[in-house]
Formats: sequence, C-alpha cells, structure tokens
Amino acid sequence: MTRVLILILGWCAAGPAVAADGGALAWWIWPIALFAVTFALGVVAVLGGVGGGVLFVPIVGGFFPFHIDFVRGAGLLLALSGALSAAPALMRGGFASLRLAMPLALVGSVTSIIGALVGLALPTRVLEAALGLTILAIAAIMATGSKSGGPEVAAPDAMSTALGMHGAYHDPATGRDVEWRVRRTPQAMVAFAGIGMLAGMFGLGAGWANVPVLNLLMGAPLKLSVGTSGLVLSIVDTSAAWVYINRGAVLPMLVAPSIVGVMLGARIGVRLLRITPAAHVRRIVVAVLLISGGRALLKGLGIWV
Amino acid sequence: MGLIVSPSAEQEVYARWLDWGTRIGLAAVVATFLAYALGVAEPLVPPERLPELWSLPVERYVALTGAPTGWGWLGLIGKGEPLCLLGIALMSSVTLVCYLRLVVALVRSGSRLSAGIAIAQVVVLLAATSSLLAGGH
Repeated sequence: MTRVLILILGWCAAGPAVAADGGALAWWIWPIALFAVTFALGVVAVLGGVGGGVLFVPIVGGFFPFHIDFVRGAGLLLALSGALSAAPALMRGGFASLRLAMPLALVGSVTSIIGALVGLALPTRVLEAALGLTILAIAAIMATGSKSGGPEVAAPDAMSTALGMHGAYHDPATGRDVEWRVRRTPQAMVAFAGIGMLAGMFGLGAGWANVPVLNLLMGAPLKLSVGTSGLVLSIVDTSAAWVYINRGAVLPMLVAPSIVGVMLGARIGVRLLRITPAAHVRRIVVAVLLISGGRALLKGLGIWV
Repeated sequence: MGLIVSPSAEQEVYARWLDWGTRIGLAAVVATFLAYALGVAEPLVPPERLPELWSLPVERYVALTGAPTGWGWLGLIGKGEPLCLLGIALMSSVTLVCYLRLVVALVRSGSRLSAGIAIAQVVVLLAATSSLLAGGH
C-alpha cells in the first residue's frame, strides 16, 4: 500500500510539469488519481491512528496541481465527513461526551472562523511555508508524544464541575465501567482556541492536537478523548468549512472523490487493523508527514515549486 | 448506588439527529456529484478547462469563471457545480440542525448554562454560514 502511494505521488509530482510541457493529461485523470491517493490515505489514516485531513492537505497540496485554497476547503470537508460519520456511534457508546465537547468546541469554532479568514488573506507562499512548518511540528509530536490510558484526576476544577463535564462509560475491552472527570478546563479552552485557529487556517482535521489536550492536559481517559475529539472536530470544522464554501473555495471535483476515497479506504483500513503492526504504520505516517511537510515548506520558500 | 453509564437524554437525541443528518448529507454529496460528473446537470465551467483554472487562487478562479460566492449558488442550482454545493451545504449544516434540536432539549431539561453554550454555538454557526464573513489574498 505504501509503495502504491509513493508511486502515485511521484506521478502526481511530475504531472503538472508534463501538463506545462504540453502533455496531453486529460482533466479526468486528476479526480481518479485523487480518488486513488485518498483511498490509500484512508487505509493509512486508520492504521496510523490519525485523521485523513492532516495527511490530505500536505500531500494533495504538495503533489497535485490544485491551489492550496481549494485543497484546504476539501481537507476540512474530508475531516468533517469522517467526524460526522463516526460521532453518533461513539456518542451512543459513551465514548464521546457532548457535555465535555460543547465548551471546547465553542471556543474552537470561533477561532477556526478567524483562522480560515486569516488563511484566505495570507499570501500563498507564506501560507505554504507555515503549513510546512506546522506539518513538520505535527510529525515531531507524533514521533515523540505519549498517551495515558486512564489518568487519575484527583479533583475536578470548578468550571468543569459547573458545566457538568463528568460521566461514566462501559469499556467492553476490559469489561469495566469507567468513571471520569476532568481538570484544567480554562487552560484546555485556551489550547482549543489555538487548535481551532490552525484547523481553520490550514484546513486540517485536528485530532492530532485534540486528543493530547483532552487526555494529558484535562485527564480524560484515552478512549473518551479519542471519541470526544471527533465530536469537537465535527463542530469546529463545520464553522471553518462554511467560510471556504462562502468564498468559493470548494471545488466539487476535488471534494466528492476525496470523501468517497477516504471513506472506502477507511473501511479497508479497519479490516487490516487486526493484522498490521500499529507501530510500523505509525512510523510510515510520520515519514509521510515529514516528506509532505518538507515539500510544503520548500514550495513556500520557492525552492521546490 | 451504581454508576450510570448510559448517555444522557440530550446526548441520545443529538446522536440520533446526527446519524440521520449525516446519512442524508453524505447521500446528497454523492448523488449531486454523480449528476454533475455524468453530465445530467450541465457544468458551469467545462471540465476540460479545469486544469488551467484549479491551480489559481480562489479569487482569480472566481473572477475568471464567474463561480458563485456566498449563497449565490442557490440561484444557479440547475448547473452542475452549484448543485454539488447543495449536497455539500446539506452535509455542512447537519451540526447546526443538531444544535438547534439540542437547545430545545436542554431548555426543556432546565440545563440553563449548557443551553446558553448551545445557543452561543448556534449563533457562531449562523455567522459562519452567512456570507457576511469575507477575506482574500
């Protein structure tokens, strides 16, 4: 799968040059290539435990001929469709908490709108360089980050108590009921303000940042953090996506093949999950992020256009 | 007294609305795209012109093609791309619809603080969906 992805990306990187030289690349090749790449991304994203959006924007922005404006609009809608699809089951199972998500999503929504407006106002080169640096930072976080399955919260903070941010769920994996509460809510709201800004500006899904804040900073159990992260993402990305829709930065020829590709790929990824070593795939994801982040940075700096 | 591990009533309602809304939204995205890709709805921009246009910043693309901004696509709903935007807009409105239902559930249950947060979220989402917010390169 990884070799196929690299081959397609190599072809895509050469594609714009071929077109510029008068090569006869038909328009319909691009949505098909996009479908193939997003299908592979869907598989890798599930196996690597990341959202498709964080891989989509740097890879498609770096190796396809589409302008970064349209790629970011499609990236947000891609992340949104995945989050919306997963949230109902997670909520019913208690693995996502609406009470926990609401205040954080509200802050993130406001800043994601600001981020989208700023992103659409920045010069393209500056935006691409900033995206490259952000993706390289995400790769570093993924390579070094830690997680805690069930952190202890000795005492919840006053704000989380007032907002009813506590609960319990049944974990079928252990057969136990897990009671949870959270701490450091004001600090988490500041963190989600920053995450929302990045999500709106770069069109990234933000699970890579949501989960550590919920898990390590607030002390929510890991499973609840993953589920609630998706719910927050569905609200935050909705806000930013509308800015791109209203600006005309949503091309159906990019959006629909990408959404279908990632969703079908994710289904295959779930089936492969049992037989694929997660640590190995995670290393591949980090490598892909390093390459695509480096490509975006070099593109932004005008070194590899 | 044992732990209550079942989700709250308002979470159940939100999940139910989200589930159905997402199904409808995704079906609309696929159906409208098929209508566009198969030529059932005439495209606003001929697909063979796309490779020379989709590498441009959105402002240039809009200026060269006359593609709609804001809610302008509603007036061109018979064309392929605006029809696709209907599907995309439906999917992107699911959260807003769920929050409107959530406000009702929270007000009825007397959760005034949470209802206030939900109302504030509805205001933010409405601001995002309005075409008042603009920016550009």
